[in-house]
Amino acid sequence: MAPKYKFTYFNLRARGELSRLIFAAAGVQYEDYRIDFPQWPAFKEKTPMGQMPLLEADGKVVCQSGAIARYLARETGLGGKSSWEEAQVDMFVCGVNDLIDKLCDAHFASDEAIKEERTKALGPYVTKFLDNYEKLGGPDGHLVGTSLTYADLAFFVGMHDVLKHRADALEKFPKLAKVVERVRENKGVAAYIAERPETNI
Amino acid sequence: MPTYKLTCFNVRGRAELIRLLFAAGEIPYEDVRIEWDKWPELKPISDTPMGQIPTLEVDGQVICQSMAIARFVAGKAGLLGKTNMDQARADMLLDGGMDVGKLFTEMVMEKDASKKAEKKKEFGEKHLPPFLALYEGFAGDNGHFVGDSLTWSDIGFFNMMDFITAEYPGALDGYCKLNKVIDNVKSNPGVAKWLKERPVTNH
Repeated sequence: MAPKYKFTYFNLRARGELSRLIFAAAGVQYEDYRIDFPQWPAFKEKTPMGQMPLLEADGKVVCQSGAIARYLARETGLGGKSSWEEAQVDMFVCGVNDLIDKLCDAHFASDEAIKEERTKALGPYVTKFLDNYEKLGGPDGHLVGTSLTYADLAFFVGMHDVLKHRADALEKFPKLAKVVERVRENKGVAAYIAERPETNI
Repeated sequence: MPTYKLTCFNVRGRAELIRLLFAAGEIPYEDVRIEWDKWPELKPISDTPMGQIPTLEVDGQVICQSMAIARFVAGKAGLLGKTNMDQARADMLLDGGMDVGKLFTEMVMEKDASKKAEKKKEFGEKHLPPFLALYEGFAGDNGHFVGDSLTWSDIGFFNMMDFITAEYPGALDGYCKLNKVIDNVKSNPGVAKWLKERPVTNH
C-alpha cells in the first residue's frame, strides 16, 4: 500500500512550494493542507518544533522544509541517481536556499536603511549566483544529470520572484532558461501551477 | 578507493562536522587548510564552484556547500540513518540545530562589544534553554537521536555544543539524554582519535 502523505503549511509558496512541486512533478497524490494564520497558534503546540511546513507520512511527522523536500525527492526518484549526483543536487539546493535567505533578509528588514543596503546588494549577488549556476549546470535543461531532479525545481522556486521583478533575468543564461522551461513543461508541474492559489510570497 | 580532499580555512567552522564524519567513518582524506592570505588565489570557479569554501574534491570532481558535503561524507560513513524516514528525521534535527547555530554564530561574530554582550545574554536566556529542552525530548534513552545507533545527527549536535559550551559552560547540566548523546559521539573510536589530534583553533 503506498504511503499516505499530508503536507501542512500556510497558504503561501515560501518554504512549502518546493515540496508541493516535488509531489506535482512526480505525480504523487497528497493532502495539501493550508493553515490560516488565526489557526496557527493552537496548531503550533502540536508540531515537533513549533514550525511549519510539516509532512505526515506512514504515521510519522517530519518538519524542516529541507528535510521534507529531500525525503520526498528520495521517495520519488528526484534526488539524483548516485551518491555523487545526490551531493551535487544538494549543493545546488543549498545555493538556492542561500539566495532565498538573501531575498528574504532584504524583503523583511524592518530598518529602512538596512533594507535599502540589502536590496542594493541583491543585484550583484543574483548576478554572481546566476553566473555560477550557468557554469555548473548541465547543457540540456537539467542542473544535474540528464533528467529532472529537485535541484531544477528548487532553482525554479528560487527564480520565481527574481523573474517576477525582471522577466528577462535569464536572457544571458541560456542553460538556466532551459532549466526553467523544462520545469514548466513537466505535466504535473504545469497542472499544479495552473490550479494553485495565487499568493504574494 | 576514491581520494577525498577537503579544503577550508584553518578553522573548525563549517568544516568541522565534515572532519568529524570522515573521522567517525575512519575514511582517509586530505585536510587542506587555507590561510586567509591565500584565499584570493583560490577563488576561480575551477577550484571553488560558488566562490566559497569548504569544498570537497572526489577523484577530481568538486562540490561546495558544507551541508551537501557533510551529507555525502555521512553517507559514505554509513551515518545517514537506516531508512528514508530515519534519514529525514536526522536531517530535521540537524536543520533545527542549524537554526539555533545561526543565532549563536551571529552573537560570536558581533564586533560591537556591548551589542555582543546583549546578544550573548539573549541567546543564553531566550534561545538556548528551549532548544536544549526540546532536543532532550527528541533524544532516545540510548543517547541517540535516530534509531538505536550513531547517526550524523548525534555528531552534528555534539559539534554544535562543542562551540556553544565554550561560551556557555554548564549549558548541558541536567540533560541526561543529551549528555549520553555527547558521550556516545566522544567514545566513537574515530572521533576520539580526531579530538585528540585535531589542530586547536579559536573557531
